[in-house]
Amino acid sequence: MGVKSIENMDRLYWLGRYSERVYTTLKLYGQKFDSMIEEGAGGYDEFCRSLDIPNHYVSAEDFRRKYPFSPDDPNSIYSNLIRAYDNAIELREEIGSDTLAYIQMAVYELNKAAASQAPMIEFQAILDDILAFWGIVDDMIEDEFTRNIIKVGKRVERIDLYGRLRVDRVSMTREVRRLTGRIQRTGLRYRLQVIDNLNEMVSQPQLDYPAIVREIESILL
Amino acid sequence: MELFERTEVVNALLARYGVKFGIYKNNTFHEQLFPFDAIPRVIDAHEFAYLERGLKQRVDALNLFLLDIYNKKHILRDKVIPEEFIYASSGYLAQCEGVTPPGSVYSHISGIDLVLGKDGEWYILEDNLRVPSGASYPMIARELCRRSSPRTFQAVSVADNRSYADLLKQVLDHVNTGGLTVVFTPGRYNAAYFEHSYLAEKMRVPLVTGSDLEVENDHLYFKDYSGRKEQVGAVYRRISDDFLDPMTFRPESLIGVPHIFDVYRKGNVALVNAPGNGVADDKGIYYFVPKMIEYYLKQEPILHNAPTYLPYYEKDMRYVLEHFDSLVLKDVAEAGGYGVVFGNSMSASQKEDFIRLLKSEPRRFIAQEVIDFCDLPILEKGEKVERKADLRAFVLSGAETVVWKSGLTRFSRNPDSFIVNSSQGGGFKDTWVLNQ
Repeated sequence: MGVKSIENMDRLYWLGRYSERVYTTLKLYGQKFDSMIEEGAGGYDEFCRSLDIPNHYVSAEDFRRKYPFSPDDPNSIYSNLIRAYDNAIELREEIGSDTLAYIQMAVYELNKAAASQAPMIEFQAILDDILAFWGIVDDMIEDEFTRNIIKVGKRVERIDLYGRLRVDRVSMTREVRRLTGRIQRTGLRYRLQVIDNLNEMVSQPQLDYPAIVREIESILL
Repeated sequence: MELFERTEVVNALLARYGVKFGIYKNNTFHEQLFPFDAIPRVIDAHEFAYLERGLKQRVDALNLFLLDIYNKKHILRDKVIPEEFIYASSGYLAQCEGVTPPGSVYSHISGIDLVLGKDGEWYILEDNLRVPSGASYPMIARELCRRSSPRTFQAVSVADNRSYADLLKQVLDHVNTGGLTVVFTPGRYNAAYFEHSYLAEKMRVPLVTGSDLEVENDHLYFKDYSGRKEQVGAVYRRISDDFLDPMTFRPESLIGVPHIFDVYRKGNVALVNAPGNGVADDKGIYYFVPKMIEYYLKQEPILHNAPTYLPYYEKDMRYVLEHFDSLVLKDVAEAGGYGVVFGNSMSASQKEDFIRLLKSEPRRFIAQEVIDFCDLPILEKGEKVERKADLRAFVLSGAETVVWKSGLTRFSRNPDSFIVNSSQGGGFKDTWVLNQ
């Protein structure tokens, strides 16, 4: 399609960001859930701190239930998935029904997981849906700008999360390189200086994670 | 049949693709799946040819009526329709006086609701000439049914209904005054948002909201992300007249486009369907459609209305009061199955109140004989049961008038109800038009 509104550019970008946020936080939550099987209460405060989300959970069980499933918690995985869905649903004509379907299915799977005694099993289907969503974005969306905006959203979110989670240099460098090559092919208005700064930061002997987070959050004009 | 056994599979696929409609309950928006029943309504080629002739005739007459009523008004001068039925109609828009849309087409997409009576006759229940919705549901259902049971479609030769988006695009191209074609939606919290986005996808045209469009120098433009403006020549608008343009209609509308009506009035954009069509699908005007066919086309109507009475006429009022319990009464201002009451379902006090209202506002209501229309089989927990069903046929008018070889068959899931609307809990079926 030749023309694209500002609103749709914005939705594509945030669809990329929220799909990544759900994917990564779901995987992290899975690791935490696993460790809490033996550890019992506690341990989730560190999880909240690392993601910079308020720890308003009153117990491990409260965290186990609310963090993935609560519609009332703006930081929950559910809320982030619904934000991805809210963007996707308004992009049907842009991304296609086949692509949108994977976000829709992820919503159904998360609702199903909420009723399960073993939600980790159900979460695999959500991770599969998001991976399939990214795959179909590449495979089915003809418009290069559309594809690139979603992917840039995904990269920005990943660098942000990697910065908060203090992920290793190799992974961080890979994401910064991918973003550098992609963002200029989107039509998005961004700060070139931020790209230069990020590349400079990943070449330093010590990664300044808080500074990386600050930079990436200011990338769009 | 294999397909029927796969109803659940098709419903799961419809859920996968987000085939939903929106509904407001207690002022909160909910998205609901539209239950699909895999047993189709089947219309053979001969019967469809008859329906096709009748529907084209009806829509052609309605288009001529709209052209006449907003211009020369011959039908009023010749006293075929009383003036007050026009000027008291909430669908009549004085702003449309003297405005002729591109190609002189007013109702480009007409949704005509019919039922098949137990006497074997088809009856028209309602004409929907403003923003009729529903074509997308059988379109996508057919796609998924073919995927679920290809053998069924090898065995039965059914006219392919998946070309609806192409037919629609041809109509839009025909009236396009030069520039982009867009689908204009009020937004995702509209009941038919799925349809808006699906048709935009299938026509490969942008889906826009009011904030994406702008009027400048008597032309309409789409603003893209870079600030570039591209002229728009046809707007398939899925927003009601009232909210279309705050400078012309409701000033508080935040979802319309200021001055879009001025652009239309000057012939610089096609609005599809044309504003002002509500005067022709008013339930009160419905009574006069057979007379329109005779008046404009000099033909006998092929398809019949359900027997209808206008309490506005003294003779009809008497009949309505005498046969109150056997009639269905409809408020002409309501739609979607609302404002419909059955005489025999009222308590004595309700009846008394209603009759008082009817006498004080006779123009507001019509009364119809309750058509004993055919039930269709549906699957309920694997068993076949019979339920009331109607048919919404889609007639498209551009260079010529064509009837889409399919339609939306809606059914009531309540065994005691005649009301089939999705907003009232109904489901839908595909409509097969056989090639033979």
